[in-house]
Amino acid sequence: MSEPLLHRFNLLERIVHWVVGVTYVALLLTGLAFAYPPLFWLTAPLGGGAMARVLHPYIGALFGVAMLLMLVLWIRDMFLNRQDVQWMAAVRYYATHQRDKVPPAGKYNAGQKLFFWVQGVLAVVFVATGVMLWFPEQLAPARTLLSSARLLHYTATLGGGLFLVLHVYLGTVAYPGTARSMIDGKVTRQWARLHHPRWHAEQTGLTDT
Amino acid sequence: MADTLTIKRTSGSASAFIPMDALRSSGPEYSKLVDISRCIGCKGCEVACKEWNELQSEPTANFGSYQSHKDLTPNTWLLMRFNEIEVGENLQWLIKKDACLHCEEPGCLYACPAPGAIVQYTNGIVDFNQENCIGCQYCVTGCPFDIPRYSARTKTVSKCNMCIDRVEAGLEPACVKTCPTNAISWGSKRDMLAKADKAVETLKQRGFQHATVYDPSGVGGTHMMYVVPHGDRLADYSLPTDPTASPAPLTALNFLKRIGAYLFGFSLVGALGHLLAFGQESPDEHE
Ligand code: HEM
Repeated sequence: MSEPLLHRFNLLERIVHWVVGVTYVALLLTGLAFAYPPLFWLTAPLGGGAMARVLHPYIGALFGVAMLLMLVLWIRDMFLNRQDVQWMAAVRYYATHQRDKVPPAGKYNAGQKLFFWVQGVLAVVFVATGVMLWFPEQLAPARTLLSSARLLHYTATLGGGLFLVLHVYLGTVAYPGTARSMIDGKVTRQWARLHHPRWHAEQTGLTDT
Repeated sequence: MADTLTIKRTSGSASAFIPMDALRSSGPEYSKLVDISRCIGCKGCEVACKEWNELQSEPTANFGSYQSHKDLTPNTWLLMRFNEIEVGENLQWLIKKDACLHCEEPGCLYACPAPGAIVQYTNGIVDFNQENCIGCQYCVTGCPFDIPRYSARTKTVSKCNMCIDRVEAGLEPACVKTCPTNAISWGSKRDMLAKADKAVETLKQRGFQHATVYDPSGVGGTHMMYVVPHGDRLADYSLPTDPTASPAPLTALNFLKRIGAYLFGFSLVGALGHLLAFGQESPDEHE
C-alpha cells in the first residue's frame, strides 16, 4: 500500500460535482415534497412549503449553471466508443462482481458515461420546464402547456432520481475506495486497476493483468 | 338554520383522489343560480362582493366596454363580463357572472400540492386557505374556468369563497342578497336545479329555443349554475363548452407518481438487496 496514489479529480472538478450533488439532493427532496403530500414535511429544513417554493427554483438555477460547468469539464472523456458497447453487453457480469468477464474500462466505464449523458439531457428538461413553472403567471392559463410541463418535470425527477440512487450506491457503499476520489481527489492504484484498468495503464505506464 | 362546515376533502391529502361517488354526502348541498336572462347589468353584485369581503377597490379606466374591470384580480373575485355579440340582427350583451363555480370535482384542489390549502366542504363550497398556500399557482393551471388569481405581493392565490362566513351563519352570499332583479338565487342544489328547469322552460316559450342550464358534468356539476338564454353560444358567454376537472397531462402525472413511488421504494430496497447478495467489491480482495 505504499505505492503513490493516483490523482483522479482536481479541486475544481470536485467543487463543481458537489455543487451539483448538493443542489440536486435539495431539489429532489423539495420536489418529492411537492409531488407527495405525505412527504410535505421535507420542506421543513428550508423553512416550510412557501419558502421551499420560493427557493426551489433558485437552487435549480444554481444546479443548471453547475451542470453546465460539469459538462464543459468532463465532456471530452465521456464520448462512447466501441469498447463501451462491449462493456454494456457485459454489464450483468459487472453487476454480479465477475470482473474477469468485463472488458477493461478507461477513465470512465460505459455506465458512468451513460449516467453523465442521461443527467445532462434531464438537466435540460428540468431547466426548460422549471422556468415555465417558476413564472406560470406569464403563461397562465395555458392549462395544457403548464400541466405538460409538470408531467415532464416529474418524469425527469423519476428518471434522474432512480439513476442517482444507483450512482450514490455504487460511489459509496458498493465500491470502497471510490468516494475518496470526490473528497481528496485521489484513488489507490489497486482501486484503479480493478475499476478502470485502461486508465490505470495510462496513468502509470504499466499494463496490467 | 346555522350550518356547520364539514370538510369533504382537502388538497394534499388522500381525500383529493377519492372518486366522487364514495364521497357524496347527505348534508345540505347549496348552489347559486345565475339566471342571465334576468340580469340588467347593474353590477350591484360586484360592489356587494367587495364590501362584504373587504376587498380593496381597484381603479379602472374606460377601455371601450360597459364592463367595470378588464379581468379578475386577487382583490376582485367577481366580474360581470359584458361580451358584445351579434345575435341575429342585434348587438347584444351576453353577460357572464365571472367568479368561482365551486365545482363538485374541483380541478384546483386536484392540482394543489399543499396540504389544506384548498378545502371542499360537504355543502359544496371550495375555499382557499391562504395560510397554507405555497404560491405555486398549480390551482390556476388546474382550474378549467380560469378563476384563481395570484398576488405577487402576498405570494398566494385568491378567489370567491361563496361568502363562506355568511353561509355558515345561515345567510345567502352577498351577491345574492343584493341582486335587485333576483337574477342570482340561492338554495339547495336540488331546488336550484328545479328553478333552473322552470326558467329554461319559460325562456323556450319566449322563443329562446336553445336556452339551457349550465351545470357541466365534466367537473361533476357546479355550485354556481347558470341559466343561459343562448345555450348554443356558450363560447360567446366565455363559458367553456366541455370543462374537465383534470387535463390529460395531470391525469397522466398522477398515474406516473403512483408508479414512481413504488420505483423509488424499490430502488432503495434493490440497492440494499444487491449489497446483501453480492457484498462490497473492494480492491484489496483482488490482490
Ligand atoms: C449526492 C450524492 C452524490 C454522491 C455521493 C456522488 C458520488 C460520486 C463519486 C464518488 C464519483 C466518482 C466516481 C469515480 O471516481 O469514478 C462521482 C462521479 C460523478 N458524479 Fe456524483 N455523486 C453524487 C451526486 C451526483 C449528481 C446529483 C450528479 C449529476 C446529476 C452526479 C454526477 C456525477 C458524474 C457525471 C460523475 C462522473 C461519472 C461517474 O462517476 O458516473 N453526481 N460521484
